[in-house]
Amino acid sequence: MTRRLTGLLGACSALGLMASDAGAQEARTIQVATHYTEEQAAPLLACFDAYEAEHPGVTVEHQQTAYGDFLQTILTSRVGGTAPDIYNVYSVWVPQLAAAGVLEPPPADVAEFIAEGYSPATVGAATIGGQLWGIPTELSIYALVYNRKLLEEAGYSEPPKTWAELREIAQKITRTNDQGNIDVGGYAYGTSVAEGVHPFYAQMFAAGVPPFAEDGRSTNLTSPEAIQILSDQAALFADGITSNAIVVDNFASNAVAMQISANWNKQGWQEAFGDQFADTVGIAPIPTDGPGGTMLYSFLWAVDATSDAKEESWDLLRFLNTPREGGLSCTGEMMQGMGSLAGNSADLELMTANADEFDRAYVEEVTSGRAVTQPNIWQAAEADRILRGYIDQAWAGTMTAEEALTQADAEIQAVLDEQP
Amino acid sequence: MPEDSVPLAAPAIAAVAEAAAPRREGRGRLLWTVLKYALLTLGALAMLLPFLDMVLGALRTPAERLARPPVYWPRDPQWGNFVRIYDQLPLLRWTANSLGVTLAITTLQCLTSAMAGYALAKFRFPGSLSIFRFAVGAQMFPFFIFLIPWFFILRYFPLAGGNDWTGTGGTGFLGSYAALVLPFAVSWYGIFLMRQFFLGVPDELLDAARIDGAGEFFIFFRIALPLVGSGLATLAIFVFLYHWNEVLWTLTVTRTAPDLQTLPVGIYLLRGPFEQEGTKSLQQAAVVVSILPVIIVFLLLQRYYVASVTSGSVKG
Amino acid sequence: MRRSPVLSSWVNSQKVVPWLFLSPVIVFALVFFVLPVGFAAYVSLTTWDSLTPPRWVGLKNYQYLFATDPLFLKTLRQTLTFAAGTLAIGVPLALLIAMAFSRVPYKGAWRVAYTLPMVTNIVAVGFIFWFVFRQTDGLLNRVLGLFGLPGPGWLTDPSLAMLSSILVYVWMELGRNMLLFAAGLGSIEEGYAEAARLDGASEWQVFRHVTLPLLRPTLLFVVITGFISGMSYFTLMLVLFPGTQGGPSRAALTTGQYMYQMAFEDLRMGRASAVAYVLFALVLAASLVQLRLLRRGGVEA
Repeated sequence: MTRRLTGLLGACSALGLMASDAGAQEARTIQVATHYTEEQAAPLLACFDAYEAEHPGVTVEHQQTAYGDFLQTILTSRVGGTAPDIYNVYSVWVPQLAAAGVLEPPPADVAEFIAEGYSPATVGAATIGGQLWGIPTELSIYALVYNRKLLEEAGYSEPPKTWAELREIAQKITRTNDQGNIDVGGYAYGTSVAEGVHPFYAQMFAAGVPPFAEDGRSTNLTSPEAIQILSDQAALFADGITSNAIVVDNFASNAVAMQISANWNKQGWQEAFGDQFADTVGIAPIPTDGPGGTMLYSFLWAVDATSDAKEESWDLLRFLNTPREGGLSCTGEMMQGMGSLAGNSADLELMTANADEFDRAYVEEVTSGRAVTQPNIWQAAEADRILRGYIDQAWAGTMTAEEALTQADAEIQAVLDEQP
Repeated sequence: MPEDSVPLAAPAIAAVAEAAAPRREGRGRLLWTVLKYALLTLGALAMLLPFLDMVLGALRTPAERLARPPVYWPRDPQWGNFVRIYDQLPLLRWTANSLGVTLAITTLQCLTSAMAGYALAKFRFPGSLSIFRFAVGAQMFPFFIFLIPWFFILRYFPLAGGNDWTGTGGTGFLGSYAALVLPFAVSWYGIFLMRQFFLGVPDELLDAARIDGAGEFFIFFRIALPLVGSGLATLAIFVFLYHWNEVLWTLTVTRTAPDLQTLPVGIYLLRGPFEQEGTKSLQQAAVVVSILPVIIVFLLLQRYYVASVTSGSVKG
Repeated sequence: MRRSPVLSSWVNSQKVVPWLFLSPVIVFALVFFVLPVGFAAYVSLTTWDSLTPPRWVGLKNYQYLFATDPLFLKTLRQTLTFAAGTLAIGVPLALLIAMAFSRVPYKGAWRVAYTLPMVTNIVAVGFIFWFVFRQTDGLLNRVLGLFGLPGPGWLTDPSLAMLSSILVYVWMELGRNMLLFAAGLGSIEEGYAEAARLDGASEWQVFRHVTLPLLRPTLLFVVITGFISGMSYFTLMLVLFPGTQGGPSRAALTTGQYMYQMAFEDLRMGRASAVAYVLFALVLAASLVQLRLLRRGGVEA
């Protein structure tokens, strides 16, 4: 009987040994973790197949995780020692990941490849403390997205240029149903951390005040401009112009007139609006009383420091980011499909040449210099979460904008003080 | 077994007793009856309608979802969605994982609970009371206190998954099915329950076998265990259903091991691909399909399940 | 199977056999119970991100949680609200329904309806209610609209987020609690309650002086186990409020979720272990108090 038990335990540990021994075999498996859906990553997956064909014995696997879970998945897997080989990470997470020793700095030839093929701005986004950490991929920019048809119905042919104009238009368009719930929203936010914090940052850039200081050791969240922005936002909630019920996801249902969103939503909107896309979706600079501007962030391809296939991983990454036969690179093709802009200069050139009105409006933000890179501060994800919590309170009216930002600043400052 | 026949026979006895009771006022009685049925019906509706809502949601077309005002009753039911998701999602792999892991856990727990329960019930030895008290007390320890430590214990387990004898160098049990099964190999509630059942086994039978010269393990497996068969069955079903639905630990361990993901975890991570409103019908279809097998199993075995829930509480 | 007679008689002796049977459980207890509890205690006294060696800080983590952390005490309050709320709503409701249930025929059908939510996994339940609670077109608000009632934002209004979580949890646990009460009621009805009625006691008197006191062990069992799981639960909130840290204004943030994200997102293993220990101490204390009451009720634990 004890024999049976020993047998059982033995089987269990044997299973464990077998399962984790798989990586040490002759054939190499490269695991690539991204937050893109299978649909979004289709061109990339096709490239994986092409790479496998050219390199027999190598298998490339795609691990997909929802964006909201992505950082946690990376960290958990790293702590648990089951990390993938390649990550496609948000640049803002890099300080935390780099400090924890998660990332492998690119070798000299890859660094050269990056310097040659990418604009200084994008390379800057992938550099922390003078060290380059990966190959920049998509450029995401925030702008005012509006539903042309809804605006026209309300009698507006032009998008708003100042917040006062935005408020006026939104108020006119917002409609409630019998129960008092907003049916069609003049303006919408979202429930996730990013959907609250990114538009806020974007508005701060537009007002000419970056959210964080250059050295990343303090914030500008208590500046008068920031307080004004938040109280304007809170006023929308207080006056019933928007509410938590109507969110950015509803834009695709013609239920939202305006919102501040990034360009990678394009694919979803194209699917939802079909051939009405160009007539319905309009892009404009973020309304502000300040000098104008917006937030830009990027992702980058990075390699895990504990990967046992580092050389192969960098090789695969070069393959994915080299422009093909006078066309886009693999990564570039994926970006184009999503409506994102590539970090690769050659890709960007090609994209701009073929850009439709939607793309051009976003590119304009970059080329005009209005778009400023979001700073890669210490424990950025935690800081964002803290900020969102206080933004919520201001929106709900349980705190004034000033109170909320003062407290957020205090908490975030405590986190920033922890950095070496 | 006296313990599990009481809940089932009691209502019958109560009905008979009530019939024999003196008549209450006719009008008051009618009021109570109406209230009784109204309450039960309202409650049952509240229990069942959300499921119906989910099925309806799975049948809507993207256009119906995006329409303003939103459409409730699907006019063009997309029954195909229930089939379509099998292509989109690795449902079969998730189900196979769930099945394998849950069966392993159930087997281990039944075995260890039976052995421990038997030892505690049928033997007198120093420390048996302390161990029993430990098993009872251990049930009070909430799950989250083990979450972080288990993660690292499994990671740095010596001689597992590429680790050397100091427990470093590899990934330990993480990334393998062992990580999903081992921490649940023993159930304190199971021990408690099996001890209860074994107490009802007459000592004379066991002693008679001993006199005949049978070995202890033989007695356990061939004589004692079959006598608590139904009790073991109820434990098995309870454990199976509980661990089939376990999410938190499995999620933590299988985040980057998609091959190991079980059905509930796979469904949890569904948010990503289905963020667009138009695709949410498929998400709902996936959820419906994921709970169907459990519901069917449950409907078939509910008598045992009910008995297992109630047998631990009412002291016989 | 050939064993030496000496080994055989030793193995089969009354002294050794029980220990052999208990050995897997004892090994398990050491590795997966005692070790983790001790490990968590040690880590809670350090600062550790699990990728670099831990740094001893003594009681600093605990100090931070109680003195500086603006969120920790809030989560404790919210967790207690959740656990207490689910009991305050769930227990009387389950009792009421159990009383009705025990007096109708065709119990099978009713039982199926009530126990279906109990066997559905928490993720599916969360998804189901994420759709049911949608403000503009969810089932609940549609039904309320039929009666001319307003449809609030169950999952988006900070003042309702916790209530919604409580309601979903009550929905899930109703079946189990009802079954337990029905079983208890059944054995009471057949004896004492009928005797009391024959003696001429009114329904209310029977309930107050016979049923309720005799139901005490079941009641306390339901309350204790309900409290422990209520204090630990947060998987539901992860599904109901995706992408956030505990819903709007973190109104549904429980200490369990706070600990989980602190550990696996911020990599603050030390502080997270401290959180776990504080919560654990609370739960243990409350359970022991309840257990004392159970003992005094004259029932063997």
